[in-house]
Parts: sequence; structure tokens; C-alpha cells
Amino acid sequence: MNEKVKKILIDFSAYLFLIIFTTLTVYPVLNVISISLRPADKLLSTSLSIIPDGASLNSYISLFTQTPFLRWLFNSTFVSVVVMITGVTLASTAGYALSRFKFFGKKAVMIGILITQMFPATMLLLPLYIMLIKLKLLNSYLGVIIVYTSTALPFCVWQMKGYYDTIPVSLEEAARIDGCNQFQAFYKVVFPLALPALVITALFSFMSSWAEYVVAAQILQEPELYTLAIGLKQFESSMATQWGLYAAGSLVVSIPAVLLFLFLSRYLISGLTLGSVKG
Amino acid sequence: MNKGRNIFIVAFLLPAVIVMFGVIVYPFIYNIVISLSNMSLRHFRDWRIIGLRQYVKVFSEEIFYSVFFKTLIWTFVNVSFHVVIGVFLALILNKKSLKFKPIFRTLLILPWAIPQVITALTWRSMFNFEYGAINIFIAKYLNLSPVEWLLRPFEAFTACIITNVWLGFPFMMVVALGGLQSIPQELYEAAEIDGASAWQKFKNITLPFLRPVMAPAITLGIIWTFNNLNIVWLVSNGGEPGDQTHILVSYVYKAAFNLYRYGYASALSVVIFLILLAIGLYFLKKTRAVESVYE
Amino acid sequence: MRDLFVLCLSLLMFIVSCSEDKNEIRIVIWHQKPPGEREVLESAVKKYMLEHPNVKVIVLYKETEELRSAYIISAVAGKGPDIVYGPSDQIGVFEVLGIIKPLEEIFDTSFINQFDPRGLLWYKGHLYQIGDQIGNHLFLLYNKKLIKKPPETMSELISIGKEITKDIDGDGKIDQYGLVWNYTEPFFFIPFLTGFGGWVMDSVGNPTLNTEATVKALKFVRDLKDKYKIVPRECDYNTADALFKEGRAGMLINGPWSIGGYKKAGVDFGITRIPKVDETGLWSSPMVAIKGYSINVNVDESKMPYVIELFKYLVSPEVQLEHTKVLGTIPTHKKALESEIVKGDPLIQASISQMEVGRQMPVVPELRAIWDAMRPYYQAVLGGTISSEEAAEKMQQLAIKKIEEMNE
Repeated sequence: MNEKVKKILIDFSAYLFLIIFTTLTVYPVLNVISISLRPADKLLSTSLSIIPDGASLNSYISLFTQTPFLRWLFNSTFVSVVVMITGVTLASTAGYALSRFKFFGKKAVMIGILITQMFPATMLLLPLYIMLIKLKLLNSYLGVIIVYTSTALPFCVWQMKGYYDTIPVSLEEAARIDGCNQFQAFYKVVFPLALPALVITALFSFMSSWAEYVVAAQILQEPELYTLAIGLKQFESSMATQWGLYAAGSLVVSIPAVLLFLFLSRYLISGLTLGSVKG
Repeated sequence: MNKGRNIFIVAFLLPAVIVMFGVIVYPFIYNIVISLSNMSLRHFRDWRIIGLRQYVKVFSEEIFYSVFFKTLIWTFVNVSFHVVIGVFLALILNKKSLKFKPIFRTLLILPWAIPQVITALTWRSMFNFEYGAINIFIAKYLNLSPVEWLLRPFEAFTACIITNVWLGFPFMMVVALGGLQSIPQELYEAAEIDGASAWQKFKNITLPFLRPVMAPAITLGIIWTFNNLNIVWLVSNGGEPGDQTHILVSYVYKAAFNLYRYGYASALSVVIFLILLAIGLYFLKKTRAVESVYE
Repeated sequence: MRDLFVLCLSLLMFIVSCSEDKNEIRIVIWHQKPPGEREVLESAVKKYMLEHPNVKVIVLYKETEELRSAYIISAVAGKGPDIVYGPSDQIGVFEVLGIIKPLEEIFDTSFINQFDPRGLLWYKGHLYQIGDQIGNHLFLLYNKKLIKKPPETMSELISIGKEITKDIDGDGKIDQYGLVWNYTEPFFFIPFLTGFGGWVMDSVGNPTLNTEATVKALKFVRDLKDKYKIVPRECDYNTADALFKEGRAGMLINGPWSIGGYKKAGVDFGITRIPKVDETGLWSSPMVAIKGYSINVNVDESKMPYVIELFKYLVSPEVQLEHTKVLGTIPTHKKALESEIVKGDPLIQASISQMEVGRQMPVVPELRAIWDAMRPYYQAVLGGTISSEEAAEKMQQLAIKKIEEMNE
């Protein structure tokens, strides 16, 4: 009897906490929705109502009919998906090598990867620009993809390595005894078990490219190549921002990211992991 | 046998390494060179190496130390909240007995998914003294007097932290969720049989498995937060009130882009880098993140 | 996995190489025109391209600050747009870096004389920018529903403000303010500074902030907030904008870029000069600047004739008047200034009237240092943490320091 009551109490407090926290988390988002529905481009409002007076979907309609939003959407999707695939490929392999092997310079490589993140990005822009001009990568998808991948990889490689570390080597040894070579042991045994980490890598690579602005603006110089982040910035102007469009655009930009998360989160907690593999 | 092993390592490791280092190396060296120069508006094309003078300038400005201190506080307060909230939420969302988990998960990821600029500006408007939601809530429901969030330095700094905590916890939550999947269930079952309490289970089973998975996120979280220009800049409108709401990177930004003092800004960036290097290495040692859970 | 990657790479290369067409002339313009104005530029450009089929004009928008940095980085690296458009204060910086061409060497005197001299930017003996609008100055907007006759002096402003500032629904909070404006930003402080007879620098660029005029102006602005209480306790640009749009503000200090937004929001407003300061009898003079076009040093000799032709089109009276029709901007071409559109619009006439008592914004790079020096102490005075006298002195010291740092 006590056990049951205890359990109900715990569950109840868990729900309560979740609800409160989720509400706090979602409230600012509701504010953004209000801005997008508000006529006359007002960032602030003196009223707290979520649905403003004279609410209209005009911003959303203009977004799709009067701006090259769909073009931006295509560009961003292309870039982010390529970065995602590249990120997963390179990180899953590099992380594995770092997890399973000892070799000369291993610690240096690992720390070196971290070090690439430490320099304040603002000062890297000018030399990056010069470098890309010399390599003729300016104004191209390839330039953007390479830079984004290099920013996302450090975390992903470390993440994959850390996760691989929780998978005992005995599993691969068993596979090798069964006749697999190293690559097959990796691909057939370890890789599937690392699914949650792969999901995180994919999600992170995607997210770090999807709404990134500064690098994209530096590299892409033609409206046809603009990504969503650059597109959104067009609505911004130091003293005349079209807040309605900007808010609507931001919300629409979030939707694919959320959908991706929804899709991938099934694999994040699929249970198809070591947790359920016995002995 | 050995040759095959080496080829394998290289094939698996090299592409990633090339991409990561290739992009950073030239800009990095460029910055170090500029930091030793007098590059500024008057000496933009004809800059010369002047040695460590810019570094002397960096260290002799009083404001450097207070901004540095603020940056440390900014980083550690933020990351602590991110991790605690993220792990806590992950634990709850991992409980088998709860329903509606997908809905909660999706809603809780929104701060990460929505572009930062609009959410940062929305938070800024929520901190507005008269019309912001926060003061209205405080006044109406908590019966306290409203806070001048954006007008006073301490409050403005706090406002930036609150916004950044909101923005950063989903990431830690997702990483923790992933980490929780690596824990073999039978360990918990065995502990249950042995009569372990919830806290003991957490400390002896959950934590050791979470550590290697969370360690990269936390270390990198520290590095990213330390260098996060966006939020501080947007919420405080570029350092207001009166240039008091700065962390090192926003200060660098102002120096470089408002006053074109590139030599100085490069030196300051190198110093920031060295500080982070020290912090990063210290953290790595402490969390033993380079090792795995089975070692 | 790997094959997919290679496939994507090749697709990329293909796409990248496809976007070049060797036979047409490509001219790139970077600008920072706000929405509303942008469409005017874009349709003008479209028209131009129809009449000149072998020219492709690419128009790119960048926000003002970003435009400046991006232009500097690209132009110094030998690239960048062919034509760059922006406010006059970017010229100071561009000139030092040597990235814009002197226009008097490109256009002949008869062409240049077609423009009102206030619409041309001469700096250090060279013409660097030809404006398509004179503007960027602040004026006083007032809500006609709340104010029948706008103030002419500051004391009138205060009394009208006091009448209007009230709590309408009795909940203890003020719902309507007499005056709102972005008072934390030094640029928006200038009218008051000049009203008391002060200015930011002398003729050679040294700051002149530590003057009695500055002290009095600082005190006055603070009093508006704390003593007369006709402005909200916290009011940045977006707050002021929202309040005026909601009809909760009697008066607003803002510039021509914002009029489009208020028209759209349906506010019945008028424009007038920012009031005189009673003590000095001087009109408040906001800073006046032009926004105009400059040519990049990196433009090829062979391309120049095409760039010149496009440039002339962009500053032509026809295009200028299109802007005026849609946005109420003040044109710079003498012919355009004579037109009915300009003469017949009361808002434009009011704007011109304000401009006539305005003062030209300095374009020297030092101005940025002065803004940065003013800002923290100005905000501290408003926050009540230091006295006006102390603030004026500290501003001056900081400005001198920053200018030194900038110029070393």
C-alpha cells in the first residue's frame, strides 16, 4: 500500500514539475507568436494578451507569397542536411578510432579538437573571408558547408567517442572471433548500439547550420543562395524592422528543426541500445 | 597486422581532423600575427609588428579584470543551471511510467529550435520595466515591487543569465537523455534487490555512465557559454546600462567593430583563448573525460 | 554513406559553376534601405534592367552596422560591391581606408551642380557621396487626436506633456505619456544638446563635451523623466515606437524612416520642429545627414561606364521622387525639390522645415568614439547614479581617450 502511494506521489510531482517547467519554457514562444499575429509591426505591446487586437495571419501570408522564403528554405535544407550527413559520417568514424585505439598523439588530437572551439569567433571572420576568397569558395554552398561541418565536428567527435566508451570492447571481440574484421565489427555491432549518440550528432550538426547567420552572411553573396537566417535578417533594419514578418519567419524556421527532433527522438530512446542487451 | 590497424585509424580519423583543423588554422595564425601588430583604422593596410604592446594594453586596462570576473560568473552560473535542469528533466522524461512524454519533450526543445535573435529580443521585452511580463507577474502574483531589469547593471546581468539558461538547457537535456540510454537496466534491478535508495542508485549507477557522455557537452558548454556574444549583446542592447553588461567577447566585439582597433581586439581574443585553454584543460583533468567508464 | 557524400559534392560543384554567364555585365549594389524603401529601389532597378538588357543589377540589403563592416572587409580584400549606399557617416571610415572613389573625378561639374549642395558629401576636398535623400534627422511627431496644437517651446512641451500623461483606467499605472522617445541613445540626445547651445566637437574633431550646455541639457532630459514625469521610466526605441503606434503617446521624437510604419498603423499624426529651448531661444538642431551612393575603388576600368550610367539613374529626379511618393523622403536633386509632390505634402514640408534648423552630422571617424564615450555616462545620468556635471566631464575624458586609442 505504501509503495503504491509513494509511486503515485512521485509520478504526480514529476508531472507537476514538468507542467510548470514546460509552461515557463513555452511562454516566451507564445510571445513570439503574438508578435507574428500583431498588425503594424510592433515588437512590444502594452497588453499581455497572447492573441492581440486585430490579430491577423497577414505576416504568414506575406512570408510565403511576397518573399523568397521558399527559396531560402530550400537552400537551408540543402546545406543543413549535407552538414548533418557529413557530420555523422565523419564523427562516427573519428570517434570510434579515438575510443578503441591507443596511438601516438591521441591525447594531442583530442585536446586539439577542443581547442578549435576556444577562439572567439568574431575575430576569425576577417581571415576566414580572405582564406575563402583565395580558395575560391566564396559565394558557394561548399564554402558554407565546410565551415559549418568544422564547427559542428568537435562536439560530435567527442560525443561519439564518449558514447562508444560505454560500449564494452568484449562485444567486438566476440564478433571478431566469429570472423568479422575490424570494420565489420564496427559497422555491424558497435554502430547500431551507438544510435542515441548518432541521433545527437545528427541533430546537433543540423541545428548548428540551420539558423546560423554570421558565417552564411559573410560567404553567400547572391540572393539565390541565401539561407533562411540571411533571409530573416532582411526583415530587420536597425530602426524599421518588420517585426510581424520576422516573428512569423522565425517560427516557421523552427518547425523543420522541431520536426527533425520529433523524428529522431524516437531513435534517441528507442531502447535498441546496450541498456537492453543482456550480458 | 599493425599496418592494417594504422590504415584503419588514419582512414577513420583523418577526414574529420582535416576539416576541423583546416578551417581554423589560417585564421588562428592570422589573429596571432595581428595581435602583435598595430592594425587599426589608421594602420589598416600598412600595419607593422610592434611586439607585445597590445597585450600590455589589454592587461593594463582595469576594466579587463572586472569583465573577466563577470565572464567567469556568467559561464559557471549558466552551465551549472543548464546541466542541473537538463539532467533533471532527462531523468523525469526517462521514467517509464509517465505518459505524454513526446509532447513534453517537443515543447521543451523549443528554446533550441527557435532562432536566437527573436527569442532574445522577446525576453528583452519581457524584462521591460512597465510593460514586461516578468514585472507584471512579480507585481500581481507575488506582490513584490517591480525590478528595473534593464536599467541597473546587476539586474541586467541577471536578465541575460536567465535568458541564456532558458536557451541552453534543452541541449543538455537531449545529451543527458542519450546518455541515460547507455545504462544497462539490470544494474538498476540488481541495486533494487540490494535495497539501494534512489539517491544511491543515482550516484553509483547513473552518474558514472552519464559522465563520459555529458563530459564533452559540459566542457564544450563551458567554452561556448564563455564566448557567447549573442545573448548578452541582444538582451542588454550592446552592454547597457552604460557599458556595464559585458562579457569578454562582447567587449572584444565593441573594440574591434566600433572602433576598428583590430590589433587590440586580436590580442584580447588571444588572451581569452588562453584563459579558456587553461579552464578547459583543468576541466578535462577533473572529469577525466579523456578516459572511458570502463577504464 | 560515402557515395552519397561524393554525389552531393559533385552536385554542389555543378550548381556553383552554373551560376555564371560571361556575356552580361554584373553590377552589385549593397544598401541598407529599410523595408518600404527597398521595394522602391528594386522596382527602379527592374525598370533599368528592362531598358538595358545586357546589364544585370544585383541589389543586396545589409543592416547598417553590418554593411559598414562587411564593406570594409570585402573592399580591403579587393572585392566588394560596385556601388555602396548608406548614411554619410560611413564615409569617414571608408575614406581613411581608401576604399571609395572621389566622385568629382568621375562626374563632371554640370552634373554635380544639378544637386542641392546639401545633398552632396564633400569631405577632405573630395566628393565621396551623392545623396538620393536628405534626411536621417529627428523631428517631433505628435498624435493629432491627443494634441491640437503642437508645442513651439520646451516649456509648452512640458505643460502639454503634463496634461496628457495620465492614468486613464484608474489602475495606478500610467496609460498615456506626454512624450516618448529613444532617450537612452546619444543620437537622440543631440537636439537637446544643441538647444542649449552645445555641440559634440570642434572644427578639427576634438570633442567638446565638457561644457555648460551639456550639463544643462543632461539635467533637462533627466528632469523630463524624473521631475516632470512625462516620459516613461524605461523607454528604448521599440518601446517608444510601440507606444506611439498604440496611440498611448502624445509626442514622439523620431526620424523620417519611421513615418511609413506610423501611417501603416493608422496613427493620425503631424510633424513639427523639435521645440525651442526657452532659456537660450535656440531651436533644437538635430543632426542632419544624407544617405547616398558611393563607388568602390575596386571597380574595373572596363566596367566603369556601366556603373556610371546606373549611378546617374539611381540619383535621377525620377527615382528620387518615387522614394518621396512612397516614403516622404526629401530629395536632393534640384528639379525634384521643385516638384508638386514635394511642395504639396505637409509632412515633407515639416520635415524640410526641421532640416533647415538642423546641423550637419560630422562624418569623421572620431564621431563613433564620441558616441561610445557619451553613451555610458549619459545613461548613468538618466539612471540617477551620477550628476550631470560629473557626466559631462567624464564623457569628455573618455572621448579623448577613445579617440587616442582609435588613432594609434
